[in-house]
Amino acid sequence: MHIAEGFLPPAHAVAWGVASAPFVVHGVRSLTREVREHPESTLLLGASGAFTFVLSALKLPSVTGSCSHPTGTGLGAILFRPPAMAVLGTITLLFQALLLAHGGLTTLGANVFSMAIAGPWAGYTVYRLLRRYDVPLMVAVFSAAFVADLSTYCVTSVQLALAFPDPGSGFLGALGKFGSIFAITQVPLAVSEGLLTVLVMRLLVQSSKGELTRLGVLLAEKQSRTETEAVTR
Amino acid sequence: MLPIDAAAHSSRWRRRHPVDKAVLGLGLTVLAVSLPPWPGAALVLVTALVVLLGPAGVPRRRLWRAYRVPLGFCVTGAVTLLVQVGGPGGFVSLADGGPVRAGELLLRTSAASLGVLLFAFTTPMSDLLPRLVRAGVPAPVVDVALVTYRMSFLLLDSVRRIREAQSARLGHTTRAAAWRSLGGLGATAFIRAFDRAARLQAGLAGRGYDGTLRVLLPEARVSVRFTAASCALLVALTVLTFVLERPLT
Repeated sequence: MHIAEGFLPPAHAVAWGVASAPFVVHGVRSLTREVREHPESTLLLGASGAFTFVLSALKLPSVTGSCSHPTGTGLGAILFRPPAMAVLGTITLLFQALLLAHGGLTTLGANVFSMAIAGPWAGYTVYRLLRRYDVPLMVAVFSAAFVADLSTYCVTSVQLALAFPDPGSGFLGALGKFGSIFAITQVPLAVSEGLLTVLVMRLLVQSSKGELTRLGVLLAEKQSRTETEAVTR
Repeated sequence: MLPIDAAAHSSRWRRRHPVDKAVLGLGLTVLAVSLPPWPGAALVLVTALVVLLGPAGVPRRRLWRAYRVPLGFCVTGAVTLLVQVGGPGGFVSLADGGPVRAGELLLRTSAASLGVLLFAFTTPMSDLLPRLVRAGVPAPVVDVALVTYRMSFLLLDSVRRIREAQSARLGHTTRAAAWRSLGGLGATAFIRAFDRAARLQAGLAGRGYDGTLRVLLPEARVSVRFTAASCALLVALTVLTFVLERPLT
């Protein structure tokens, strides 16, 4: 769920932009360094951005019978790491605002914070934690996608509750209001996105080992297994 | 190509410099967000609509198709302002002044969306992205954005064709089959994206690729007259809002 253009008051829009800036700047610096050292990475990163954009355009069957689209933040964070996702997510959100009229330019900072920063970092943290304790890959992938999706919506609820506190019960009441609306629709969607991400990852492990190794996903698998073995010894 | 970008390529203002259109379109968005919703956002909404359908020549149907997306989000979001949690009216009751707040929010978001649509419907992304380097965005980020932009269309096209092929093979007849097809679709999109990147890399390496993607941009100059007229319009809207605010509220 993108926050629509003009939805946030100016002060909130600016504040979320300021909050997102350090993460995006960090991502831009690491991306610039990567591209300067390996010029061919431009194309790979561009392909990753296009994949993220297309992933967010896939229609996901919802439990309620309607359909929605995945955020792609969990899969993106596992494949490309959260700093790269901050930049790729910002580019994707900019494209969505200008090409699809989803989200907006004044709310770009808030959307970047929830979708390109909070979601990927939450999902990636869960993924790394579970892999460290040798939880099976697909369980870790499902959990990462589920948490990334849900945390994106939780942050969006906080952003909306801060901007529109409830007249009767203030911030907490508004958080409950927005949170319960999202909970009805988003918990099933987060489960759906988790399942979809597992299906995608399972096919990728079978057919694209080269790319996954190049991205460090399978190497990270080996490393975390070695670390766990060392700990048990 | 996506409908908004396709319309931007055939727009009357296609040859205008993006700065000209940014001053007008994004200026209207800033006004919609920062002026009092009544009458400020209402004036911005009417102005943006007149400019879009008049001088910018955006086809009505295309505009409506693009506009109804953010409008749907605005309405859904505004509905939540109609109720309040807790208080003397019970756990959930109608909020005092809720309709006014919801109406103001609707006015603000719908006017702000039209401002951005004015910019999007007249400025192709391919004109905008390379110029971002001059605005201070690092060149490698702009290059990545350019590749993302160009590859997105190819991937979207691939996804559409894969979905058609899956449907032809009864891949969407049952819920389980639909999930399997969707998983396959996501994985195939990933493989195609990386395959295209590898082939593009090989092709560019053969042409002496040094890490920078140089693209030809259509000649365009910032029009002082257009920008000045846009600024005058924005100032007039601001003044009019403050003049009308007291009598109308």
